[in-house]
Amino acid sequence: MDKTGIEVEGIVVECLRDATFRVELANGHRVLAHISGKIRRNYIKIMPFDRVLLELSPYDLDRGRILFRYRT
Amino acid sequence: MYTSRKVTTLDSLCVTRVSRSCWHALDDDRVIGRAEVSRRPDGRPFLSIDVWRDDAFGRLAEAMLPVLPKPLYTVVDERDADLTSQWCAAGFSVRRREWECLIPTSPAEPSDVPVISPEEEPLSELDRVIREEVEASVGWQEMPAELLGPGVVDPSKYAVATKSGRYVGLIRVTQVQRLPRIGLIAVCADERRRGVARALLGHALGSLHDRGIETASAELNESNAAALALFDGFGARRVGSNLELVLR
Repeated sequence: MDKTGIEVEGIVVECLRDATFRVELANGHRVLAHISGKIRRNYIKIMPFDRVLLELSPYDLDRGRILFRYRT
Repeated sequence: MYTSRKVTTLDSLCVTRVSRSCWHALDDDRVIGRAEVSRRPDGRPFLSIDVWRDDAFGRLAEAMLPVLPKPLYTVVDERDADLTSQWCAAGFSVRRREWECLIPTSPAEPSDVPVISPEEEPLSELDRVIREEVEASVGWQEMPAELLGPGVVDPSKYAVATKSGRYVGLIRVTQVQRLPRIGLIAVCADERRRGVARALLGHALGSLHDRGIETASAELNESNAAALALFDGFGARRVGSNLELVLR
């Protein structure tokens, strides 16, 4: 069985200049996140205050990838 | 069910095709990269590759690209230079650039072109006519994904310009709860260059302004000089860009 990354929810707090986002998790931890190819492919816009589903990097828990944007 | 098949192995990294449309890059059974292909409503296959390690990108590309029919497409944020260069290293080249713009709303200016809320049946007919006209020129495939497939046209998202009772142009505005997005402005071929698009955009921005919304967004194709000039005239500011890449 392949092991996939840890998925957590968070709130986007800042859009950074290099196509990355700062996302705050429920425990207050902040993660630097890219968006997934699927989100990019579908031209879904990510903005501050969006609630998102993140996958955390297995190599660095300070980095993540936004997999899904919840409807607000 | 698709039979899992190891595609390539080197060092501790291997690539496995896990379904007809999905590949995984694995390091010690941990998924460190994922590649997918899916078709947009216009039939074009779009790829995505997400990795946690740079070396996994090339491995996934090597595994999937030879077995997929060309042309293949992907979209990247131009500010993401690393990702863009990885796709280019895999053989992709820039097909077109799309600017992301923010447009300040403002009170609607008086116009000779009436703009109204549409009725469904004539709006659908206008949508059909404009699609045929666009398909005969630049092609509808350059439209946003939500507009690609034929479907029910929701009148609540549109305003239309009229001349002598005939619908001659339309504008589509969505996501009003967040940042409103101007997803489409289109004018019948025989009514272009007569201020119809300007009237439609002015009406939409005026309506948003009246509701206390200060800014709207839009994506503009770099090659569409008329659209760029129209939005520039309303003070549009370019805040980013997306590249559509193609492998032929």
